[in-house]
Amino acid sequence: MDIKILFLILVPLGTAFLIPLIDLINAKLRRFFVLLGIFLESYLIISIIVNNFEKLKNGDFFLEYYLGGWQPPFGISLVMDGLSLLFVSITALSLFLIVIYSVGYIGHHEGKYYVLYFLIAAASMGTVLTADMFNIYVFIEMLTITSGALIGFKRSEEASAAAIKYLIYNVLAGLLFFLGVLLIYFNLGTLSMAAVSQNFSSLESGIQLFISAIFLTAILIKMGIFPFFFWLPKSYDSAPSPVTAVLSGILSKIYLYIFIRVFWTVIGFETLQALNLNILLLDLALLSSFLGHVFALQSNNIKRLLGYSSIGHIGMITAVIMLNTDAGFYGGLLHIISHMFMKAGLFVACGYLLQYTRSHAYRDFKGVGLRNRSVFIAFIALLLSMIGMPPLLGFASKWYVLMAFLEARSYFGAFIVIFGSLTAVIYYLRYIAKGFEEIKLEDDLDEEIYSRPLLSVLYREKIVSFITYAYTAIIIGFGLGFRFLDLPLNLSIESIMNVERYIELVLGG
Amino acid sequence: MAVIWQQFMASFQFDSYFPLLAEVGVILTLMTALAAWNYIKENKFWYYALTLVYLFSTLVVILTNDWFFFLFAWELVTLATTFMLSWSDWKLVRQYFVIQFSGSSILLFGALAANAFGYSQIGVIDSVPLQFILIMGIGMKSGLFLFHFWLPPIHSEAPAPVSAVLSGWVVKLGYIFLLKIIPMESGNTFLFLLGLAMIVYAGIQALRSADLKIMLAYSTVSQLGFIALAIGTGGKYAFYGAVLHIIAHGFAKTTLFISSGIWQKEYGTRIIYDFKDALSRRPITSAATILGFSSLGAVIFTAGYNSKYLIKSAQNPGLLTTAVFFLLGLLSFLYAARVVYWLFIKDQDYSNFIPDLKQGYNHYHIYSLDLLALLTGILGIIVVGFWPEMPGGMLAALVQKDFHILSGMRDTFIFLGISAYLFHNNGGFKVAARGNISLENYLQLFLNFFYGLSRKSVKFDTEKIFETFFYNAVFNASKKLHDFVYQDFTLQLLWIPIFLTVLLLWQQIYSYF
Repeated sequence: MDIKILFLILVPLGTAFLIPLIDLINAKLRRFFVLLGIFLESYLIISIIVNNFEKLKNGDFFLEYYLGGWQPPFGISLVMDGLSLLFVSITALSLFLIVIYSVGYIGHHEGKYYVLYFLIAAASMGTVLTADMFNIYVFIEMLTITSGALIGFKRSEEASAAAIKYLIYNVLAGLLFFLGVLLIYFNLGTLSMAAVSQNFSSLESGIQLFISAIFLTAILIKMGIFPFFFWLPKSYDSAPSPVTAVLSGILSKIYLYIFIRVFWTVIGFETLQALNLNILLLDLALLSSFLGHVFALQSNNIKRLLGYSSIGHIGMITAVIMLNTDAGFYGGLLHIISHMFMKAGLFVACGYLLQYTRSHAYRDFKGVGLRNRSVFIAFIALLLSMIGMPPLLGFASKWYVLMAFLEARSYFGAFIVIFGSLTAVIYYLRYIAKGFEEIKLEDDLDEEIYSRPLLSVLYREKIVSFITYAYTAIIIGFGLGFRFLDLPLNLSIESIMNVERYIELVLGG
Repeated sequence: MAVIWQQFMASFQFDSYFPLLAEVGVILTLMTALAAWNYIKENKFWYYALTLVYLFSTLVVILTNDWFFFLFAWELVTLATTFMLSWSDWKLVRQYFVIQFSGSSILLFGALAANAFGYSQIGVIDSVPLQFILIMGIGMKSGLFLFHFWLPPIHSEAPAPVSAVLSGWVVKLGYIFLLKIIPMESGNTFLFLLGLAMIVYAGIQALRSADLKIMLAYSTVSQLGFIALAIGTGGKYAFYGAVLHIIAHGFAKTTLFISSGIWQKEYGTRIIYDFKDALSRRPITSAATILGFSSLGAVIFTAGYNSKYLIKSAQNPGLLTTAVFFLLGLLSFLYAARVVYWLFIKDQDYSNFIPDLKQGYNHYHIYSLDLLALLTGILGIIVVGFWPEMPGGMLAALVQKDFHILSGMRDTFIFLGISAYLFHNNGGFKVAARGNISLENYLQLFLNFFYGLSRKSVKFDTEKIFETFFYNAVFNASKKLHDFVYQDFTLQLLWIPIFLTVLLLWQQIYSYF
């Protein structure tokens, strides 16, 4: 029993609910309150890591908390093993950076924004920590609704359309997920993940197939794998930059976590193998990755382009995870970390660079690099990391992904990794070159309309650019010292692959 | 971090001739650094920072035996040299980056394939297909035949010290890598043939150049051909010949490119027909140029003679070999001697030589650092020319080797006679200076060829050709694919039941395959 796990969820939740009350007292206090909340969250994680450092080193790290004192399989329990710890830490780091960015970026309706933001924070922590199927469904719905509201935050026609499409897709996915949860409950009489996992193989194979198919469809829609990825670029484009950073950096990774949890811990990879679904999924994910990279080539809008490239990367990660080998998980998890920071950093930098442009279109990108030279250089460093240039984190993770594919003799996967890098060179270089193009004053000055829907001025410009540099520093730092991640990655792989230990610890503890 | 550092330190290998090559690399980099001190005017700090990065990463490339650090360091070399090009033109940076990146992706693929086949460290690779992939991988970076197309435009447009770096040492890294992986006993026939083609083709191109730096760039390709041929031959002396030729050509080409930068500043042009009174204006630069070209042309008592003799002696003896190598030597002697002929002999007036020398008419200031760089080069060429076993006996096996000084002298005199006869009768092979050669022009030619097939003549704006290519080909193709896959929102939602059905019926579908 460790109450700190519960507080990981309660702190952001409490912050979200207290923000309107703080507004009643003094609106300026809000920012400090927000920062207090996120600092408290970081403190909790750091203290968890510091207190259990010996256990982490020995590889027997495991924490749990029973809600209301009810033991599983009856009550809901919160569980933190190696995989959860990894996801909680990187999610919290990203949330921390983006909230500071938002303090500088979001200029109006701040109160609503922070409420939604902290609900997302609470829901993502909850999804990672919970060990109960229904609870996961609740948190997923929370994520969907809050992020849908944030996508439509600009209240333009385009943003509302994107938000509605996003909501339709994701609510349908949530519905399917709920159906799966119901089926599990009616057939097994329990919702605790460990108990379900113990008894899942005793079900009839038809029901196994139906439950797997429903969960698969739901999670693939959420992750944005072909044929369900059309909502993704639209919503990435029309959301404000920090929200896009959250969507791409955090939410897609949370769904990947759910994917791993559901299909390795709960349903079990052997079930997928027995149903021959793993081959279909591997090829589907690689096809999705291919299409994402190809569609990025035709995109005339930088944020959409980044969205398509996200599809490419998430497809690649899913495929490499589907190999079900240690090397595959090593590469996949490392790429999850690197993609999280690269993409969030890129969207954050986009928010800064595109502040004075009329739209996010290619032609408006002209001269952006000359105006904000140092941020643009950070942007280029992040792009190079996406391509996979050696001193950066992107290279290390792509290298391990490639090695995993080659080790498993999956040459289509290896081809996709290299193809992704090559197309990325093509579509990013175009934007870099455009960014350095000089603006001829007579033609283009009248096009520089100040159209920032979110803020009157970027009045905390220093903060905004600082966060971009922070992301770049993380990419470079981890790129040089990616072996630091060796311990948490191995711990996570251990907790993914060793399901029996998980069941024993949850049910027996 | 500690682990990776230990791995890094443990991966260094200090056996056979690689430490020697690393030392030569350091000396050449110092030469270019000296020459750059007065050539590079702006952002000097960044130039030297890049040089430092380049220096350390080349050392890693030469000495490491770990694939990962090798690729990593080579990427750093590429990045450092790429940004060095920006002192000339950012356009070059972009082109060079794209080319090197595509080259390194092939190399990466080759390295991964080698890794997958169980060669966990860089060492001798016995499988011929794997050798082929790796040769293709370094082909783009080291300018092997058919992949050399980028080398003359970029090496000739770069700033002179950077050309010296690129031509003198960066392209050699690939051959140093091949020295590690090609088995010494058997060699590689494909590489041998590529080398032969490179020597002949680029030699003829060098003979047809009027521009000093373009000529030097083509002669680089031609001389690299000798290295490829030597490695492809296989055998102890061929490999020693390759090592010696890497060193000899490194010294000669670095000296020549540094002096070409000085000539360009002195005369304001790079066309060799316009250089007059070179000897009296800058005697030491002239001496360095002549010595450098003699080394390229394998004149006796220079570094180039020793290495080419070794390569020749490693072939199967016979009349055909003798004849072929005589002709190859003649070709390289001709293009080297032609420049010397135009620079110092043809249409020159030496009647007032001593007074002019004392007067010192030079437009571009004679900097002592430049002289120091050139003198280092001269020293290198002479030392390797007289002591092929190298100071300290690092190539001790060559002490016993007979270099046939007499036949070398004979060949030199025959070459000299033939070239004097040819130059005198053909007016020194004077050809018009060709227009600006650049990769964009090549792309234009390529596209014209394709559009020519459809009997349309389209005039391209060469400045925009990079973008045009994207808009017309890549962009449209991917747009078509996107429009094909993308449906209206309501139809998109139909994917959900379709996908569910496929999943549920997957067992039946799977059983059909």
